Amino acid sequence: MASPGAIIKSTTRQVKPLLSLDKSEARRRVLNLYKAWYRQIPYVVMDYDIPKTVPDCRKKLREEFDKNRHVQDIRVVDMLVIKGQMELKETVEIWKQKGHIMNYFKETIEPKPQGFLSKFLAGHE
Amino acid sequence: MALSMLRRFSSLVANGQKCGITRAFSAAAGSGSTTNETSPAIRKVDAVEKQNLIEFGRYVGECLPKFVQKVQLATGNELELLIAPEGVLPVLSFLKDHHTCQFTNLADIGGMDVPARPYRFEIIYNLLSLRFNSRIRVKTYTDELTPIESSVEVHKASNWYEREIWDMYGVYFANHPDLRRILTDYGFEGHPFRKDFPLSGYVEVRYDDEQKRVVVEPVELTQEFRKFDLSSPWEQFPNFRDAPPAIEDVPLDKPAGGEPPKK
Repeated sequence: MASPGAIIKSTTRQVKPLLSLDKSEARRRVLNLYKAWYRQIPYVVMDYDIPKTVPDCRKKLREEFDKNRHVQDIRVVDMLVIKGQMELKETVEIWKQKGHIMNYFKETIEPKPQGFLSKFLAGHE
Repeated sequence: MALSMLRRFSSLVANGQKCGITRAFSAAAGSGSTTNETSPAIRKVDAVEKQNLIEFGRYVGECLPKFVQKVQLATGNELELLIAPEGVLPVLSFLKDHHTCQFTNLADIGGMDVPARPYRFEIIYNLLSLRFNSRIRVKTYTDELTPIESSVEVHKASNWYEREIWDMYGVYFANHPDLRRILTDYGFEGHPFRKDFPLSGYVEVRYDDEQKRVVVEPVELTQEFRKFDLSSPWEQFPNFRDAPPAIEDVPLDKPAGGEPPKK
């Protein structure tokens, strides 16, 4: 009969942390990134001259963060924060262009047909 | 005349392996020498060189027993060190700074994705020693979320190579001074060299006349599950039927007492 400690040891795996050591640290990083984006948005709207208002962009920012609300793994959260940080830097330094910013809004993508009739009319299935 | 030139040439290459120039010369000299070359198209492996490589590999393995997990020779004369991911910096700095190594030149860093493995990515460092005219390959492994120590502080050249690997495979390099995308477009999502990235990609880019800008839209192509059967029904290289295996192990002498006792 294996001791309970041995069973736990065999099922959990020691992993190397990416940045954060615990949940609260990961959460703090996410909030910091969110705040940094939030404060940058007026300048983004001004610099890139996009046809959007600041509240529109903040709504979009909230949406992008909410997309990953379900993520629990600390390392996945860290990886997303790293990528978000890189995106922010690309935006701040104006390495991106207007189109890259506007692509967050996905205005040209038509939503997929939902009901039976609209699917039929669109030629799907 | 031809013979004297031949002699001079062979003295030039006496310490190296016999190269194509000398072979051509001996044919031109028409000396009818008893060269026992049966298949000149097959690259020969110099036995002395090979023995040197094996000894060197064994020596490195003995110097760094904590990190070097395996030493092997690929295709006869390419020495490869398979190391643990924690040992990237110690092994690379040992190979760079040790007097008998002097692998001061980082030729390339490569990546490899094998999704079936527990650590799916392989990171491959190709090093060159100008002092000893020799090359070595250092291989390590990681997965999507395990960071690897950046080697920029040992080799400055690895800055862009590591950015490439980050961009193409999504392997994170800890302590890299400037880790950001290098090949993909801003706003691009995903890592194209991963095996689970579809050949057609996820998005397509076009110029929209109404918006007066380039727009990105999800791609409409559906792709079948990709599995290529590349083996052919007939034998392609019968001359290589009993060729030596592509990868040979170099046995490492384990320190006496075997593994340290686990606590």
